[in-house]
Amino acid sequence: MTLRERTRPAGGAATPAPPARRRPGTGTSRPWLLLAPALLVMGGLLLYPMFRVLVLSLQDFGLRELVSGRTDWVGADNYAELLGDPALWTTVLPNTVGFAVVAVALTVVFGTLVALLLAQLSPLLRGLVTTAIMVAWAMPAVTGTYVWVFAFTPGDGIVVQALDALGLVDAATANPFSSRLAFFAVAALNVVHHGFPFVALTVLAGLLTVPQEITEAAIVDGANAWRRFWSVTFPMLRPVFAVVTVLSTIWDFKVFTQIYLMPGGDGVNRSVLTLGTWSYVESFAQNRYGLGAAIAVLLTALLLVVTVAYLRLLFREDEL
Amino acid sequence: MRFMPGSRTARRATVALTAAAALAVAGCGGTGGEGGGDAAADGGNLTVWIMEGTNPDAGPFFEELSAAFQQRTGATLDVQFVQWASAHDRFVTAIAGGTTPDVAEIGTTWVGEFGDAGALVDLTPRVQDAGLTDGLVQGLEEAGRLEDGLYGMPWYAGVRSIVYRTDVFAELGLAPPTTWDELVAVGQRIKEARPDLLPLPIAGDNEFLVYPFLWGTGGEIATQNGDTWVSGVDSPQAREGIRFYADLALTHGFSTPAAATWRETDLRDSFTKGQSAMIMSGSWTPKAILEAAPDLEGKIGAFPIPGPDGGLAPSVLGGSLLSVFETTEDQELAWQLVEMMGTGEFASKWAAESSYFPGTEQLLQEAAQSPDPLVAPFARQMVDSGRSVPVTPLFGQIQGNKTIAAMMRSILTGEATVEQATTTAAAEMNQIFAGGA
Repeated sequence: MTLRERTRPAGGAATPAPPARRRPGTGTSRPWLLLAPALLVMGGLLLYPMFRVLVLSLQDFGLRELVSGRTDWVGADNYAELLGDPALWTTVLPNTVGFAVVAVALTVVFGTLVALLLAQLSPLLRGLVTTAIMVAWAMPAVTGTYVWVFAFTPGDGIVVQALDALGLVDAATANPFSSRLAFFAVAALNVVHHGFPFVALTVLAGLLTVPQEITEAAIVDGANAWRRFWSVTFPMLRPVFAVVTVLSTIWDFKVFTQIYLMPGGDGVNRSVLTLGTWSYVESFAQNRYGLGAAIAVLLTALLLVVTVAYLRLLFREDEL
Repeated sequence: MRFMPGSRTARRATVALTAAAALAVAGCGGTGGEGGGDAAADGGNLTVWIMEGTNPDAGPFFEELSAAFQQRTGATLDVQFVQWASAHDRFVTAIAGGTTPDVAEIGTTWVGEFGDAGALVDLTPRVQDAGLTDGLVQGLEEAGRLEDGLYGMPWYAGVRSIVYRTDVFAELGLAPPTTWDELVAVGQRIKEARPDLLPLPIAGDNEFLVYPFLWGTGGEIATQNGDTWVSGVDSPQAREGIRFYADLALTHGFSTPAAATWRETDLRDSFTKGQSAMIMSGSWTPKAILEAAPDLEGKIGAFPIPGPDGGLAPSVLGGSLLSVFETTEDQELAWQLVEMMGTGEFASKWAAESSYFPGTEQLLQEAAQSPDPLVAPFARQMVDSGRSVPVTPLFGQIQGNKTIAAMMRSILTGEATVEQATTTAAAEMNQIFAGGA
């Protein structure tokens, strides 16, 4: 329901006019009054820091500036350095975008499949499976990452040993963290494992609202499961898919912990830097907060573009 | 939530919600820096930040120190422990917010950085008055010095040497090597006779273990030329040392490909698991190794990293200094604490409890007399060939950038040759040197 509807006088169609007691003007100020606490919190905790980051990105800001409080405006220099850095175009941006696209696709597809499975199960089984996948979701990213790194440890990691037993790799020489592709494959497993429960549960909640009659009617019309999903379920759940995809995209674009904690992910392996880890390495390891802020602004801008483009694609022009 | 496919308002609400949620979610995730402790030294109270973990059981030490300090000056201490991993961030946020402690333990590579930023007190006159000027361990003093000021009082230091399995050496009739050729010969003998062991694993993700070899052949990490610094890692001498170090893994096969992404702690893990015969390791680690693997008791020894043709290779002297922050209200009181911790009884007690070496020459010489076979070789390496990395805040940036570790990793994975990797690393270092000048 929109705000306008909410503030409209209550009552059925039979009440024709608003109560006479209402003074003019309250109609427009009251929503703002109600929004004020939330806006204050958002403004203080979100908008102000965002504004500061934007300001910082236009300065040469290091530890010395931090101590003395001086400011050194450099205009767009940080952006010029950033955009002129070949590493951005050959490594960082392809890594970030490529990883996000693959991870989002896998997360949403796998999450949806799990949701479809859950919808078929009896309540008892569903409860069991839901609990099991909730564990993956509840696990902190740091813990989860260490578990995956542990499993893929070169030499004696359980996965490396298993692949060795299958004859796919040689455990004595294989190092899953040394090549770019293998590194991101492990990172993607970690991220998908951590992210799919949210998708599964959200889509499941949506699935349960699809009226039984529509599905039954489709079955009577002879539609198979594939057809029913694309012609009935998906169109009805489009907003749900929009939410999970947009959120997953944002999470996977700015993924940091899962990359940073993997061997070489903290900047030692230059070929696996992403926008998130690069921004951190520039700002905090090198005290170049201005340049780090510029990278963060770039990441935010990129996310806004992707989100808007995606929503445009998903919803027809007139619906927005 | 119920979605009505036919209703436009519902759709619009969803879109609005999505956007709002997206913004909210995108905004969180960063962790705010914790502000520092109580900065003011009101009424004779000093806030002290100490790194956690150096001394496994630091509680009794500081209780004793607090009591002694109160007896001498009447002031109380508020000791707060800080994790090494988050310490840099905590210092920086504290500096920004003006909530720095009065006295703090600061890692050698940070003193220049914080001193340069104007956060620390120059201790030169006080060190002079105390008659300590010539009595400080040189490598540590270098780390605290920035231009003409001394921004940290040497507290404790350690150095890396080689820890080895005495039982394996005895079984094969080997003696600790004293030249690089002997090191290779020893490694080859272990490789042939004990294929279940890695003779000497080489960790890719570590810069400090590269320097003994880079320095050993006469190379320099960087040299100062007037006001500017120039990288030395691409010089022929440095390359020779780096190539020898890399070849221990690549040509001689003393390591494992997995070690290309190892850190120093992974070396230690492989040693405690009984998978390695020798590892390069810090003077502070034998105690921890024996705690993790009690069955190695009596089976481990240490020898200094040899020079190419005898003598000792220089090894990085790492440790901590005690600094006084500009925000303190009573610099004299703060210095009294620094002097008390950095000299005499408390300094040697701290060093002994934490398995490090004290920061003054006199106490270090005493410690070097130790007959303990797990202390003496490290002490020799430290006294004879302890060395500091380039002392400039810009080198802190290079370390933050992990330039040398990235270089070593790319050589060990075979992504780059020694020439290519050193050229890349030197270019990166020179760019940082040029940018910060």
